[in-house]
Amino acid sequence: MKLYKNITRISVLLVLMLSVGACNSVLDEMPENTKFTEDIDYTISKNAILPLIGAYEQFYAKGWPNNPLMSVRGDDVNAGGLGDQQDFAETDLFNYNKDYWMYNGAMTDEMRVIFHAHSTMEQVQLYKDASGNPDADQYIAEAKVIRAWVLLFITRTWGSFFIPTSSDPSELLVAELYTKDEIMQHLSDQMDEAIPELLDLNPNMRTDIRGGVTRATALAIKAIANLELEKYQEVADATGQIISSNKFSLEPDFYELFKIPGKLNNENLLELQYSDFGQGEGDRKAYLYAFFGPQGWTPKIEGSQSGWGFWEPSLTWIKFMLDRNESIRLETSVLFTNRGISEIQKDANYATLPNWISNTTRSGDIVNDYPRAFFASGKHYLPSDQLTPGRKPYGSNKNFTCIRYAEVLLMYAEALTQGASGTAGSADEAVNEVRTRAKLTPLSGVSNQDVMDEKFAELAMEWGTRFFDMVRLKKYDVLSYEGRTFTEDLIFLPYPQAQVDQLSQLSNPPAN
Amino acid sequence: MPGSIVSSCAVHLFAFVPAKWKIVFAKLSKFLTKTPAMKKIFFLTCLLAMANVLWAQDISITGTVTSADDGSPVPGANVILVGTSTGTITNVDGQFTISAPADGTLEFRFVGLETTMVAISNQTVINVQMATSAQSMEEVVVIGYGTSKVKDLTSAIQTVKADDIAKAPVAQPMEGLQGKVAGMQVVSSGAPGATPTVRIRGIGSYPGSSNESPLYVVDGMFFNNIDFLNSSDIESISVLKDATAAAIYGVRAANGVVLITTKAGRINQKAQISYDGYYGVQVAQNVLKMANSEQFTNMAMESGSPADSMYILNAMQRYGRSTTNPNVPEPNTDWYKEILRSAQTQNHSLSLSGGGERASYSLGTSYTFQEGIMNMKNEYERFNLRSKVDYNATDWLTVGGNVLISNATTYAPQNGAWHTTYYAVPVMPVIDEQNVDAWPSQYASAEDLGYRGAKNPFAAMDYNENLTKSMKVNTNFYAKIDFIPRKLSFKSSYNQAFTNYNQRNVGLPYYISNASQREESTLSKTASTFNNIIWDNVLTYTNTFATNHNLVLMAGMSYRQESGQWLRAQGLNFPVDPEQAWYINLSETIPITGVGDGGSRQYGLSYFGRASYNYKYKYLVYATMRADGSSKYQEKWGYFPSIGLGWVLSEEGFLENSDAVSFMKLRASWGQLGNDKIQASDGATTTTVVNTAIDDVLTSGTLTSSTYSSLKWEVVEEINIGLTTRFLENRLSADMDYYNRKTNNAVIRVQVPMTGGTTMKNVGVIGNSGFEFLLAWDDQVGSDFSYHIGANLTTLKNEVLDLYGQQYIDGGQAEFRQRTMVGESLLAFFGYETNGVYQNADEIAADPIAVDNGLVPGDFRYKDQQAPGEEGHGVINDDDRVILGSYFPSLMYGVDFSLSWKNLDFSAQMIGQNGAKILNRKRGEIIWTNDGNMDADLAVNRWHGEGTSNIYPSSAGLRKGWNQKMSNYFVEDGSFFRIQNLQIAYNIRNWQISGAEMPHIRLSFTAQRPLTLFQYNGFSPEVANGVDRQTYPIPAIYTFGLTVNF
Repeated sequence: MKLYKNITRISVLLVLMLSVGACNSVLDEMPENTKFTEDIDYTISKNAILPLIGAYEQFYAKGWPNNPLMSVRGDDVNAGGLGDQQDFAETDLFNYNKDYWMYNGAMTDEMRVIFHAHSTMEQVQLYKDASGNPDADQYIAEAKVIRAWVLLFITRTWGSFFIPTSSDPSELLVAELYTKDEIMQHLSDQMDEAIPELLDLNPNMRTDIRGGVTRATALAIKAIANLELEKYQEVADATGQIISSNKFSLEPDFYELFKIPGKLNNENLLELQYSDFGQGEGDRKAYLYAFFGPQGWTPKIEGSQSGWGFWEPSLTWIKFMLDRNESIRLETSVLFTNRGISEIQKDANYATLPNWISNTTRSGDIVNDYPRAFFASGKHYLPSDQLTPGRKPYGSNKNFTCIRYAEVLLMYAEALTQGASGTAGSADEAVNEVRTRAKLTPLSGVSNQDVMDEKFAELAMEWGTRFFDMVRLKKYDVLSYEGRTFTEDLIFLPYPQAQVDQLSQLSNPPAN
Repeated sequence: MPGSIVSSCAVHLFAFVPAKWKIVFAKLSKFLTKTPAMKKIFFLTCLLAMANVLWAQDISITGTVTSADDGSPVPGANVILVGTSTGTITNVDGQFTISAPADGTLEFRFVGLETTMVAISNQTVINVQMATSAQSMEEVVVIGYGTSKVKDLTSAIQTVKADDIAKAPVAQPMEGLQGKVAGMQVVSSGAPGATPTVRIRGIGSYPGSSNESPLYVVDGMFFNNIDFLNSSDIESISVLKDATAAAIYGVRAANGVVLITTKAGRINQKAQISYDGYYGVQVAQNVLKMANSEQFTNMAMESGSPADSMYILNAMQRYGRSTTNPNVPEPNTDWYKEILRSAQTQNHSLSLSGGGERASYSLGTSYTFQEGIMNMKNEYERFNLRSKVDYNATDWLTVGGNVLISNATTYAPQNGAWHTTYYAVPVMPVIDEQNVDAWPSQYASAEDLGYRGAKNPFAAMDYNENLTKSMKVNTNFYAKIDFIPRKLSFKSSYNQAFTNYNQRNVGLPYYISNASQREESTLSKTASTFNNIIWDNVLTYTNTFATNHNLVLMAGMSYRQESGQWLRAQGLNFPVDPEQAWYINLSETIPITGVGDGGSRQYGLSYFGRASYNYKYKYLVYATMRADGSSKYQEKWGYFPSIGLGWVLSEEGFLENSDAVSFMKLRASWGQLGNDKIQASDGATTTTVVNTAIDDVLTSGTLTSSTYSSLKWEVVEEINIGLTTRFLENRLSADMDYYNRKTNNAVIRVQVPMTGGTTMKNVGVIGNSGFEFLLAWDDQVGSDFSYHIGANLTTLKNEVLDLYGQQYIDGGQAEFRQRTMVGESLLAFFGYETNGVYQNADEIAADPIAVDNGLVPGDFRYKDQQAPGEEGHGVINDDDRVILGSYFPSLMYGVDFSLSWKNLDFSAQMIGQNGAKILNRKRGEIIWTNDGNMDADLAVNRWHGEGTSNIYPSSAGLRKGWNQKMSNYFVEDGSFFRIQNLQIAYNIRNWQISGAEMPHIRLSFTAQRPLTLFQYNGFSPEVANGVDRQTYPIPAIYTFGLTVNF
């Protein structure tokens, strides 16, 4: 009987073994820690805003090389010296290398923002269809504006390009290229679609997403696109609408505009938001300002970190400002080193400099000499005493402004001096509003040259505006500065080789 | 009529089964024949049993089995009557008694000894001496889900024995196998506790996702590495290299399988207590010689960079001038010397094993401690306990259990310090009393001299501590039922491996200078647990039909569950003192973004089988099949077949009586193997939560991906052709294998246009092929002297065969490009070819390329890859880049030698490799750190005037973009030759004190890696992925060892 029992045991074992074999269903278990898009409940109306926040997150998380690469080529700014990232410096010298990683890195990183903006539009549309969220159209319009801003800069930098239509990058494999003008027109049309859906507020008055896109943002992008198309009447109309809305004003203190008080300032139409949430440690969202900062300094708040020295205001621009007797904007835009000061003085015309020029900033930070560059950018500088106590990284908690009301005023004036008619006052009024803040005397009967000079003085080191202006006005001699030679064939950067290898259309782009 | 067959079966059964079994079968047949299905099963069982022969007159035989080596009795040896299932086991004194027919033959078997056959021929006393089976064909090796004799194999399996493994005084057992197994590359790591990189027959997957390591099977359980094992606990290691050997492990087999058997006790064995241990020191070898202050100053002055010469002046101002050369700053710091130390290592193992008539046991404990040679808290400590018990509960049931508990503590090194040290300027002391702002130690900072960074490695070493505590509990329980003794058995085993990791990474506050500081203390902790379960059920049938047909059948199923989860959190500003306060709870801030968790759970279900057949041990056929089901991928089932054929030529008439040829076998095999280390893929779009700053408030949103991967396992198809030979009475052995492995659906990254991103697809084809040779000579001269010489050699050709139509896949960093191209090795180095250095102005003027690029003497001349007239000729741009070599060695070899004379034995092992390239990224990173130090070879042999160098650029040139392009100047030869292991030992045997038997004592001295010869300008030519940036150098180890067998 004992053995009989054993046999029973064996049988049980065999049955168990076979029953495990029957457990094929375990193979169909879902993976852990993953949320599949198909499981989202789109009927929850309040969640429609989540994909939009995602779009802002992607926009604010732009890679650090993008902005410098796309805006280094003007006569307002230099790349900092050699020694590291040579091909970035070569780009500033108009020697382009299609294989340089930063070209591919910047283009693809910008495109990432575009694909996510499309993804946001698609997701919000699903919420709209399922839940009928009344704000869905506004959210979609905001994503459109973010997409437009990014595509604007890709096209300004590389010329002919794709017009993406969905979040699926593989569509580009069969997509065609459009000329720069076609894309600018497309952006202008896109903004026309978005404008009626957007809130008519200063971004800082928004309560849902403070600092987000509003109608004025879309109008400003429309104005820039039309400026590129030299459709000055459209520029005057769009900018005039912003001016007449009376929702924006210039920050009286130009220096502080680029510091903490400039965050969500009345002057800003669009900015990348960063924060350390008022805490000396812990969570932090930040832009890599170190790239722009001086390589050596003695900060007022000991231990605050310095920068990398890659963004140097040009001697050309500094001398231009000295010629104009500018102090407010020059002081705000440039961090002087002693080596830089003596470099200016090497030119006999500038042997004597105004007394206020020194290597100590108004905020008390001392900028030391460093080999890479003579000067650093003041607009990308946050005084160490404005850092949240405890925070060390250069420029922590500082926002990155994309569009300022000053630029809107100057675009308006530019359009008028190009022959457009305006309804929001005269070109003189617009220019003088900007000059007054800079403590300069008002002008009357401003010429187009006056406006362009004002733009040079006001917007230097920001977003390559100077370069794109000079290219548009074909003032290639202006860009041929400090030993460089600029010609028409150098307007656009070459497409990155890595993309040409995949997208054969790029080897044969339409002429711009 | 089934009924009559059953009854005739029963007759046969009754003829040979023991009395007890007769009752079983009587009951069984009665029970089983009740239903038609059961009848069938019973019928089959009977069929399997029918081939047995009957026998007549039995006589009783007694005898003693001794070892031919030293005449000591062999307890626990199997004594089997050939052709039957009758057998017994020798007792503690090696004695046996068996009842057998007078005309029968007895077979004596014992692991490690040569199986011996003796014809009974009416003898009643048979004493047998069994020889050690060094090269024996009768030797039994462990194969997947079973064992096999070497002579029956058709596959490429190489076995390494306990003694060989124990020779290397290393904490990681796999490191001890370096250079011992043909076809297996082991790249050691010098860091304590770090597991070596192991590759079997090249690499068939795109590198970088840690999907290249073999499968380790320890007593039936699957592991990704065996860092928990103590070398002296290992009985044997079998490396399954080809498809027929490994395919039984199906989807886990593609990278080769390493089977490990831990030590067990034996039936009827006296209790054996043994101590085994060593103590020694590790010393850094081939320390990279850096430029000293004079050479460095010279380079700085020649650089033409005003900044660099200014820093030297600053150093002279701050620290004074050298008394021997007043143009050089006083400090002359050898930074590598500063951060290195000699480090101790020790291991102690105590084990007890033995067995009675029914049970055998093995118990052991071991302690390992290894310090790192980096002068910081950098060490590895492991404490193991193990127990293995086997019990023959009845004559048909064996049960056993095996438990291993391993506790390890690792303080990881700051590998970044190796990197910082390379650039640390020699004109600065370690400690600078003038740096009054620095705290807690007054370390010097190069920033005070004007340099961009602090360049002092001590910050990283002193103010970081990365601790990992791991606990592993591996258990294995089995029950084995012999339905028909020695013929039909069923084994069910349940394995569970539980691992718990507690990781604590601490950053302590400090200040050296602006660029090297940490104001707030940071603490991050990760707790993770992994629980893997495997339940195997295997049915094995062994029999010989009609004397000549030998058959083994195996069928089984396996259920697998692998799960893990982890939780991580961070704290800032915790109380630095005491260590007991290092808790997140006590931190001032707990950032939300520092919190994360994750988990995974995967199931597998497999069915497998094997048939092994031979005719007269002459013609061999071996086939396996595994069906693997996995929850990891969208596709659930994979099928992995293999077949092997063997022809034993030495059994044929023309070789049978050859004096020269003792054994010769030709082997061929084909099979498919899977690799499921490929990451699981989503197979659908996913949505993740992200957060961003909106109006200074951290706000959450969602991101929906538009691209996703849909993956499955990779399939490797492998062909192996081999020859196994033994000559001159087995004294000379030679094995040769040719292998060709092809991964047909390798997972590669397919570029997604305009995103910089990629999706993974199973669309690449990667090939690995080569030859393996093993040679050994063993001989005994007289009774006191024996020696052994062995060699192995492996060739490897790694080649990408297809990339889904893509021209290439770029890897590495942009500045140090590695490119995967069809026809080349995976991740081959890719850049310009230098063609000397411009020596004078005439050469510059004569070369339009030099003129166009504004070059000067001392700059590199690059090879223009386009011929005159071709597009692109006359310009050096990215189109002139070519493949510069691969990090896979094309040739690896090992040579070992041992001799034993009386009580003294000596062994030596040498290893080497050729054909591998190393990217000297330390030199290359001058792109980013152009004011740091450099190695002395470069500083001394730089170009500094016509004719001074045609290899290195000038000091100014080094700092110039033109010369910093990725080129063969940075890609160096990684060939090396090394004396891997030298051991000399003295044995004290058979001695007595006052008549009392004293234990066997063995004293040994071992030098591990005492000498390495190579050309590469670095610390060590062993760089796992070929990119040397911060490789932990591999030290030499000198130890004294003691073994005591009570």
